Amino acid sequence: MLTVENIDVFYGAIHAIKGISFNVNEGEVVALIGANGAGKSTTLKTISGIMHPRNGKITFLDEDITRTEGHKLPAKGLAQVPEGRRIFQQMTVMENLEMGAYIQKKVSAEDFDNVFSHFPRLKERRSQIAGTLSGGEQQMLAMGRALMSRPKLLMLDEPSMGLAPILVEEIFNIIQEFHTSGTTILLVEQNAEMALQIADRAYVLETGKIALSGTGKELSESDEIRKAYLGG
Amino acid sequence: MMTFLNYILSGISLGSIYAIIALGYTMVYGIAKMLNFAHGDVIMVGAYICFFAVSRYSLPPLVGVIAAMAVCTVLGIVVERLAYKPLRAAPSLAVLITAIGVSYFLQNGAQLLWTPNPKVFSSVVGTGRLALFGGQLTVSYVTITTIASCIVIMVALSWFTGNTKMGKAMRACSEDKGAAQLMGINVNSTISVTFAIGSALAAVAGVLLCSAYPTLVPTTGAMPGIKAFTAAVFGGIGSIPGAFLGGLLLGVIEIFAKAYISTQLSDAVVFAVLIIVLLVKPAGLLGKQVSEKV
Ligand SMILES: Nc1ncnc2c1ncn2[C@@H]1O[C@H](COP(=O)(O)OP(=O)(O)O)[C@@H](O)[C@H]1O
Ligand SMILES: [Mg+2]
Repeated sequence: MLTVENIDVFYGAIHAIKGISFNVNEGEVVALIGANGAGKSTTLKTISGIMHPRNGKITFLDEDITRTEGHKLPAKGLAQVPEGRRIFQQMTVMENLEMGAYIQKKVSAEDFDNVFSHFPRLKERRSQIAGTLSGGEQQMLAMGRALMSRPKLLMLDEPSMGLAPILVEEIFNIIQEFHTSGTTILLVEQNAEMALQIADRAYVLETGKIALSGTGKELSESDEIRKAYLGG
Repeated sequence: MMTFLNYILSGISLGSIYAIIALGYTMVYGIAKMLNFAHGDVIMVGAYICFFAVSRYSLPPLVGVIAAMAVCTVLGIVVERLAYKPLRAAPSLAVLITAIGVSYFLQNGAQLLWTPNPKVFSSVVGTGRLALFGGQLTVSYVTITTIASCIVIMVALSWFTGNTKMGKAMRACSEDKGAAQLMGINVNSTISVTFAIGSALAAVAGVLLCSAYPTLVPTTGAMPGIKAFTAAVFGGIGSIPGAFLGGLLLGVIEIFAKAYISTQLSDAVVFAVLIIVLLVKPAGLLGKQVSEKV
């Protein structure tokens, strides 16, 4: 479904991504884990067209999207929940969801119902200004907003960041639900333990390179990973 | 008492013009995060277009207004494309200097095309007056039209930004362009639309301004532009109701300062009030105190 081949990404002179390749097959949950600054967010930003690679190729559903402008990608079935949520703070919950459905000609009631079935709390708060939601609710809104575009591939950048453990559990359950209902998922996490539990496959990123890859199970049992990311 | 009412009406009328200009400033600032100092000169271009349409080609005033809006819309889009878009990632000082450059370019262009000799603009609604209270208070049609236009524009813009898909996309872009792009919003074309709307409003303001103050020269837009910028900051830059409120207050303060303090000092009084407001409320009257997010 998604193939990333040998991409190099730069911030000015900083070589943030150094020739990485990986792929995501339809129906999978693939995790991209790694320490802070490894290049996880940069990789997602490059896939969603916010940045473009200097070299290499990105293919999504058999189409070369390496240089496609970012705003054209949601219509092709790609959605990203960005790091730090980035909801529209001054807009209401409903308006945020409407923006998620921007690429649809008309916002459909079914899409709202679908989001509310995963996140009943958003329904209660639908007229509230998004900036006044709690951190967990904001994460739910960011995920709900992405769902509104009916993505084929959903990319999530550290959805557990800054959340209490109980909420992390809830968010991961919902990611599982998305997956069960047929959405392919590329999950970026520093919380490797949780990510590896739900991932079919995972890649470990270290300073802009892929250091390791394997199934979720293999990696969670690997000594290297245990030492570096799972606290022993 | 009637004089006082007259001053109020003049103040609101002048303030309405400032408000219409300030709306353009504030919308562009909200979305492009830049101060478009050439905005005042778009007013002047609008006034010239209307002048030529009506006085030279004897077209009906309404056609003149529409022609002015059409030309200014295109001008706004072209200026944004050529001068500002290439600087989207540049430091804000570079953008500011470019905007000042565009301002001089428009003024000098107008001098070249239309000569610096003043043109006498004839009011698009005539020079009639409406007599109230048995003739004790008279209000010119220009004043009535100006205030009514401002209210209509304000209501229409609020509706547009609150209820339409494009309007909501504009608000989304002004909050977070990166996130807006992830929704599939074309940020560049949204910025273009904002410039188009702001410039069309500037054309309306130019026609109203010159209907009230008929001398039209290439620098006609400069001072009202600065005043309207002040009004936008006064109300809270980026805020649409703020621009409306700031414009009206500025107009009223200016007229009262002229009437009761000194004609020469009126501008100084206006700016003194602005400084005091900003000392007390740095974000302006209706501005939101936003901490820069990293
Ligand atoms: N806007 C930026 N400008 C310059 N360097 C950046 C920028 N964003 C990220 N980087 C650098 O790129 C590298 C990868 O960052 P990032 O992709 O955010 O890592 P991660 O998401 O894995 O924490 C880091 O070294 C970081 O300092
Ligand atoms: Mg990151």
